[in-house]
Amino acid sequence: MQGALITSAVGSYPKPDYLVRARNAFAQGKLEVAELRRLERQATEYWVRVQERVGLDVLVHGEQERGDMVAFFAGEPGGVVIEGMRLGGLVRSYGNRYYHKPIIAGKLRWPGPMTVDMWRYTQSLTDRPVKGMLTGPYTMVEWSFNEHYPTREAAVMDMALVIREEVKALVAAGCRYIQIDEPAIHTRPEEDFDLAVEAFRRVVEGIDCEFHTHICYGPIEKIYPGVLRLPVKQIHLAFKNTNYQYLKLLEEHPWPADKVLGVGVTDVHNHKVESVEEVVEGLRLVLKLLPPQQVWVLPDCGLKTRTPEEAEGKLRVMVEGVRQLKRELELE
Amino acid sequence: MLTTVVGHYPKIPNRPRPARLRQAIARYERGEISREELARIEDEVTIEVIQEQVEAGIDIVSDGQIRWEDDQTYIARRLHGFAINGLVRYLDTNTYFRQPVVRGQVRHPGEPFLVRDWRFAQEHSPRPVKAIVTGPVTLARLSQDESYGSHERLVMALAEALAPEVKALAEAGAPIVQISEPLILWHPEDLPLLRRALATMLAGVACETALYTWFGSIERIYPQVLELPVTTFGVDLVSQPRNWQVLGQHPFPADRKLAAGIVDGRNTRMEQVEEIVAAVRHLSRIVPPDRLYLNPSCGLEYLPREVAQAKLQRLAEGARAARQQLGVEA
Repeated sequence: MQGALITSAVGSYPKPDYLVRARNAFAQGKLEVAELRRLERQATEYWVRVQERVGLDVLVHGEQERGDMVAFFAGEPGGVVIEGMRLGGLVRSYGNRYYHKPIIAGKLRWPGPMTVDMWRYTQSLTDRPVKGMLTGPYTMVEWSFNEHYPTREAAVMDMALVIREEVKALVAAGCRYIQIDEPAIHTRPEEDFDLAVEAFRRVVEGIDCEFHTHICYGPIEKIYPGVLRLPVKQIHLAFKNTNYQYLKLLEEHPWPADKVLGVGVTDVHNHKVESVEEVVEGLRLVLKLLPPQQVWVLPDCGLKTRTPEEAEGKLRVMVEGVRQLKRELELE
Repeated sequence: MLTTVVGHYPKIPNRPRPARLRQAIARYERGEISREELARIEDEVTIEVIQEQVEAGIDIVSDGQIRWEDDQTYIARRLHGFAINGLVRYLDTNTYFRQPVVRGQVRHPGEPFLVRDWRFAQEHSPRPVKAIVTGPVTLARLSQDESYGSHERLVMALAEALAPEVKALAEAGAPIVQISEPLILWHPEDLPLLRRALATMLAGVACETALYTWFGSIERIYPQVLELPVTTFGVDLVSQPRNWQVLGQHPFPADRKLAAGIVDGRNTRMEQVEEIVAAVRHLSRIVPPDRLYLNPSCGLEYLPREVAQAKLQRLAEGARAARQQLGVEA
């Protein structure tokens, strides 16, 4: 998409209480799948209207049907199942938080469209473009156990083919922007970075669509400027959470003219809603290094851990900050 | 040739068994139960996981580090001089810990804080229980230093602060004290410093001591690491298969033991008994069986509880088969 300081979001929004209850009931076998789907769509429509009301340019569907970004594709209750994957037992991620870690137990195969229905439904609600949302092959494998493939590389490269089929299905349905998240890409930056890039290439190569990626939290300094090798139009990073320190990296190695920088301007791990001024000040720093046509403005990450009010507030200050800057710069 | 574990064990089982500790912590955080009630459940779960290790056939068990949120903060919260900060990723895992921040002089609090845990575990275990302490290099490398301004001084301060604890554990009767030092693999330049730190930390400690590493390559510290003043060196042979070659390139000293991590603590794929026997056969060419421990490649909390126990069972089976085939005694 062409334009200056285009606003969008990273992926998830908080689920309303009725949907949280419905998901629990469904997991316990106490709710029909049709009813779950109806409530997911109701919640999705709510977030479409919020995004329209706030004034985002490019919308996300809000991932109301997903729990975890990997387990959703591996058979979490209400989710879909890539052939060869299944859900494993509970593993602790930190503190008192546990998740069902998926297992790659067989040859990975695309099971048919997994995200197309929800994308199509969301797009039918609005005139604004809605992004397709997928998890990248490296992250899918890194966050799963591997009982089938002899090496991580073999699993990642097969997973890339699965994700590629899903990309093709989304594009065939009319999707023009697809964000493929790779938050695990910096887990082993020395050892595995080439593999992650090669797998990403296998996902998108030769497909006519605008691709974005989102990489959050972690040692970005270890993968910059290497990350620019990812075959995407836009790379989004969590700037706010790190107080715009990534700009130092961009000062050392300039951002290339053919890529868009997605700038996270609101911290999704903080309950406080930022002021419009904070957003404007942050973006001013970015615009010292990049023209506004090369910058998209988003929250740092998915907003699912905030309350609905906080999430909307964080979108609102973002859009207002962008409007203010555009007036100043006489961009519209 | 004894079997053992590297440290932690999954805190909760899967359905239909109840996730008692998870529920208790959630209730404690909501103010619904007291600290004492939570401690009682931690004790019960500790007994449960000791039983699981014993049932699996492990010779030297641990308390599963059930009370530990992670390897760093359980110690840092109990020493003087630390605050606890936000979440950071633990090495190349998808698990996170709260980063300790060194805010003042690091000191031991006076009363031992691990001895009660060890004693409780040993009282409830028919097998020897090893005590576990996170090492000074790892603690320093995974903390944020706002006080010392010198890595070396911080490591030495940590060694001094931990010395009374190790001594108290040994005096209480711990048969083995394990020092967990994975970060030495990422910072081989710290090896001379670790040597001095361990000399301080283990001065006057009479029991067997072990230095365990995991996840990384030992190439840059081996064989020099065997000069450290500990009996046993623990190496992960799963994450880094090349560690096999590195081990094989040098003669293993007669006054040291090797703890070989040969069962994958990070993947649910089950090892076959024959694989374990083959690994032991290979190891026995490097070090005689009476100076060899067999264990998983790392702590087991990266696995679901049932898989963790199955892995230990398989390890014990493999060890039994290997003893028979090699004609050695346990």
